[in-house]
Amino acid sequence: MKKLIPLAAIEIFVWGILLLSTLIISKIAFLINLGGETLIGRIATEAIRVVVSGAVVLVWLLIWKKITDSYFWRTVAR
Amino acid sequence: MLDSLSGTSIAIVFAVAAIVTLVATPTIGRVTKAHGIIGRDVHKLSKVELPEMCGLAILLGLTTGVALSILFFPDAGKEAVAFIGTVLIAGAIGFVDDLHPLGARIKPVLTAGAALPILLLRTYDPIPIVPLLGPVRLTVVYPLLIPIAIAVTSNAVNMMDVMNGAMAGTVSVICGATTVIMLASGRPELAALSIGLLGALLAFYYFNRFPAKVLGGDTGSLAVGSALAALAILGQVETAMIVALIPHIMNAFYGLASVGRLYERREIRQRPVRLLEDGRLEASAERNAPITLTRLILASGPLTEKEIVRGMILLTLVSSVLSVLTFWVTAVGRI
Repeated sequence: MKKLIPLAAIEIFVWGILLLSTLIISKIAFLINLGGETLIGRIATEAIRVVVSGAVVLVWLLIWKKITDSYFWRTVAR
Repeated sequence: MLDSLSGTSIAIVFAVAAIVTLVATPTIGRVTKAHGIIGRDVHKLSKVELPEMCGLAILLGLTTGVALSILFFPDAGKEAVAFIGTVLIAGAIGFVDDLHPLGARIKPVLTAGAALPILLLRTYDPIPIVPLLGPVRLTVVYPLLIPIAIAVTSNAVNMMDVMNGAMAGTVSVICGATTVIMLASGRPELAALSIGLLGALLAFYYFNRFPAKVLGGDTGSLAVGSALAALAILGQVETAMIVALIPHIMNAFYGLASVGRLYERREIRQRPVRLLEDGRLEASAERNAPITLTRLILASGPLTEKEIVRGMILLTLVSSVLSVLTFWVTAVGRI
């Protein structure tokens, strides 16, 4: 099962990036406050937070895809 | 800590769910075969035909286990009803899909509807706890994310059900980790739901492992996937569940990313793997074929179906350990 080691390493790397992403989200997305305790203000703030967090998650998925693609095509070519 | 009464209750839920599934699987298999509900085991040279839709047995075992958990933990009855309601709706969608295949776009939309019991019974806390971040208030947005979470998880688990024992084996490992997490967070009533699922899945795995005697169909995989999402929502362990599901996400996301749209397995012209004359499987070198987890595992050379599934289970074991670590990081953050 030595063949699985690179994939397990990808999993661990992806996990690390996920934790890093939550740190980035906490430092950026959750500091956003569009002000007020009104319903509109709360909806706008939460929506913006989710959009920014979604963007970070998208970057996380893209990094993951790049690494996996690179592993796959390099290994298949051998 | 877990008291002995809760411990005994959880053990009974596990045993009953497993026994019911053990008894029901061959019986359902005989009935479905008699009615011509069969699937072809495409990764065998013989292309043997097997009884399909036997995931019904998982539903039966899990429902019995959940009914018992309501007796043992009556205070958490609402959560248990929301959980099993979600699972049964997703299972019903799978049932329809097994009889009359649904389109690749309609299936996620329908499975999103399985979130209704959780939403209607309000068995969610819109303040998820995120690692390194702590509680996050998403009062307005969180309920909108629940149907998406159910649809994504159930379809990701469904896409993993490609080989003998792959779905049941990998999700069993995740259930083990989830049970540990629920117990560690002092939620024995949710640990009972998780271990009920584990019992049903292990019993089903006995019949579905290589060489499979039965196939679960979408009835089983969509229900099991929705169960994982429901557990994550009820137990507020969303991030830990995402981590546990890394191999499933890898399988589904790369398949989707490489095809460029939602797809059904039967629609794919360029297969990700091909069957060799010696019965082993080899990764396709075609650029257009989806990069699935199976294809990734086969990247370094041909393997047997049994070896591939063992690889999937080992990778899920790694992600499940990471999910427990994630829970621990989250718990530390909460302190």
